[in-house]
Amino acid sequence: MGLGAFVVRRVLLMIPTLLGVVLLIFAVTQMFTPQQRATLYATSERQLTQIGAIIRTHHLNESILVQLQEWLGQLMQGNLGYSRTGGGPVLQVLLRKLPATFELVIWSVPITILLGIYLGVQSAVHRDKLPDHVTRTLSIIGYSLPAFWLGIMLIAIFFSALGWFPPERMGMQAFNYVYVSKNWHIYTGLLTIDGLLNGQPWITLDVLKHMVLPTVTLIVIQIALIVRVTRSSMLEALGKGYVMAARAKGLSNVQVINKHARRNALIPVMTLAGLLTAGLLTGVVITETVFNIDGVGRWAASAAGGGGTVPDIPAVLGFALFAGVVYVVANLIVDIMYAYIDPRIRLG
Amino acid sequence: MSIRSRWKEFRLGIRPTLDELKFTLRRIRGSPLSIVGICLVGFFAAMAILAPVLAPPTSRDPFMVFHDGWGQIPRPPGSSIDDGYLRNLGWTVHYFGTEQTQVDIYYGCIWGTQTAFRIGVLVVAISLAVGLLTGSLAGYYGGVIDEVLMRFTDIMLAFPGLILAMALVIALPPSWPIDFGFIGLAIVIFLGLMLVGRSKKLKLTGIWPFTLGLLGLVVFVIVDSWVLGMPPIFVQLLELGSLDKILIALALVGWPGYTRVVRGEILRVRQEDYIEASKAVGCSDFRIVVRHILPSSIYPVVIMASLDIGSMVLLAAALSFLGIGAPVGYADWGQMISMARNWIWAGTESPWMYWYTFIIPGLFIFFFVLGWNLLGDAFRDILDPTLRRR
Repeated sequence: MGLGAFVVRRVLLMIPTLLGVVLLIFAVTQMFTPQQRATLYATSERQLTQIGAIIRTHHLNESILVQLQEWLGQLMQGNLGYSRTGGGPVLQVLLRKLPATFELVIWSVPITILLGIYLGVQSAVHRDKLPDHVTRTLSIIGYSLPAFWLGIMLIAIFFSALGWFPPERMGMQAFNYVYVSKNWHIYTGLLTIDGLLNGQPWITLDVLKHMVLPTVTLIVIQIALIVRVTRSSMLEALGKGYVMAARAKGLSNVQVINKHARRNALIPVMTLAGLLTAGLLTGVVITETVFNIDGVGRWAASAAGGGGTVPDIPAVLGFALFAGVVYVVANLIVDIMYAYIDPRIRLG
Repeated sequence: MSIRSRWKEFRLGIRPTLDELKFTLRRIRGSPLSIVGICLVGFFAAMAILAPVLAPPTSRDPFMVFHDGWGQIPRPPGSSIDDGYLRNLGWTVHYFGTEQTQVDIYYGCIWGTQTAFRIGVLVVAISLAVGLLTGSLAGYYGGVIDEVLMRFTDIMLAFPGLILAMALVIALPPSWPIDFGFIGLAIVIFLGLMLVGRSKKLKLTGIWPFTLGLLGLVVFVIVDSWVLGMPPIFVQLLELGSLDKILIALALVGWPGYTRVVRGEILRVRQEDYIEASKAVGCSDFRIVVRHILPSSIYPVVIMASLDIGSMVLLAAALSFLGIGAPVGYADWGQMISMARNWIWAGTESPWMYWYTFIIPGLFIFFFVLGWNLLGDAFRDILDPTLRRR
């Protein structure tokens, strides 16, 4: 099978899974009463007061099949309901809050991957020596730390005690410039980049300073997985015949490790990208809540419980749907890249 | 056969098992990390069991943490308890201090251990049971069942655990009318048709009795819901407390992982010659799965379960922290940390004044999860037949 055929096949295989994701969310909606369910069809604040009318127009009291048809119709139009806590239709709120989350993710992911691979390789190369023990101990600690507690401890140490890195997304001055003054122009929605584009590098610096602690939290909770898989995959590669052959023909240790063993060892590590995405989606919910960053994660968390006594159902389900779709698409990309790098997958 | 000769036979039969056990124990002794893991889990288990002694309950529900008045500001470890009622019960000192609204940290941490064990062990036990059943079905029979189950787990696993659990916790109603008559009837129809399929007249083998039962089940559900309009047969209202909701949500999130692992293991083992041999001597499918396949494919599942107890407790704590977990005032580590959020910074003069509010419950979670993770790692090295003799 060529790569093109593989991609087509894989994309087609994704469709039933996506449909399943939608159906599962629909199944969850069926656990609510029709009154609660009606908020999923509202498009404005005013409509939240006209629940009875929504139930009638969308047939929410009728059989499951009618409701499914109705719900899929709404989805096709991009209507996921009105979010009280976000103050707008779910899709709009999601898009509005995504840049803040994305900014956190794009800073933490490269560091997590590079550092994780480096530590994993070092751990495998120095097996059962000091670097290995240190890395393994640290990674098992990273596994066991509750993410929210780690965030709180980082705040307590680096903000409360030392005063180095503050929580939240930006300082008061930057906030005023971005949201109050009229000079700010939104190019990408990412404050670190927009700060430079607006000719205000101090805003970029301020935001970066605020992002240190949440980024560290995300890195620590994610990196253990990468270290662990890289280590075991690297150990396996080091035992292979081609590594022995490379050593036998007199290559230096560095060359053997970097050119021969590591390249092959990294192939299985790539499959982690899917798990990493899932971890990130979960991670932002917690880090954004702890550090009070106004992104999609904090929104979903406050919608589920933090906000008030009544959960904001459309927001939670909308975010769950978003997370499911992101995860499925991420896995698709990983599979395609995997097949591209390792021909054994698509030819086997 | 005399008792003595039977005993001798038994002793000879059990010897390899004992030798294996001895070998396992020797491996455990040789690995310091696994000893730390076992000690940590043992320590927490002892604390959970001794909770009524270590922290005598002050109300009818021992899981409700007592509070000494309603003062907002946390008080440091060692401060005295003023409430006369509590003093009469023998509570005179806040050993670990108090959270806001004067919730006692020591009491909450001790009974929180029981909560953690309940959540971790119950969730993993339920997921494991469901995973073993579905995974065995999918792996052993393959075909349509395998395809359906695997696609379903694909969908479940497409959601990050915490996010799906969040949606489920808010979706689960506080009380659930469950028609046990309907469920009972469904089970009777399913099992009955399976037996009919295996009877001498039809002589169905392999997957087919199961398929017949499933078919009957589908027909029954369709007829009952659409033709008869789902008449209630024997309805019982199931009350779901906040903790039950968490248990259900986490178990729903957890089982697909086990199904996957069990299926994979069974597919691996199914190829072995000894399975072929047991088929040849006429063992039933049930016997083959339970006596021959599961024992040699169970290790990865045990390892996963041990690691999962830790991660399920972490998930539950995260839910509590986000405010959708255990009810307010319940002995729960995550909730205590959530209460401490306003006290991380206590002004410029002494920013760490309220350290006890978040550090103590956090350490409890951390060491609990660490214990299970170390234990899981130890199991991996010790139990896994492919690694243990290296």
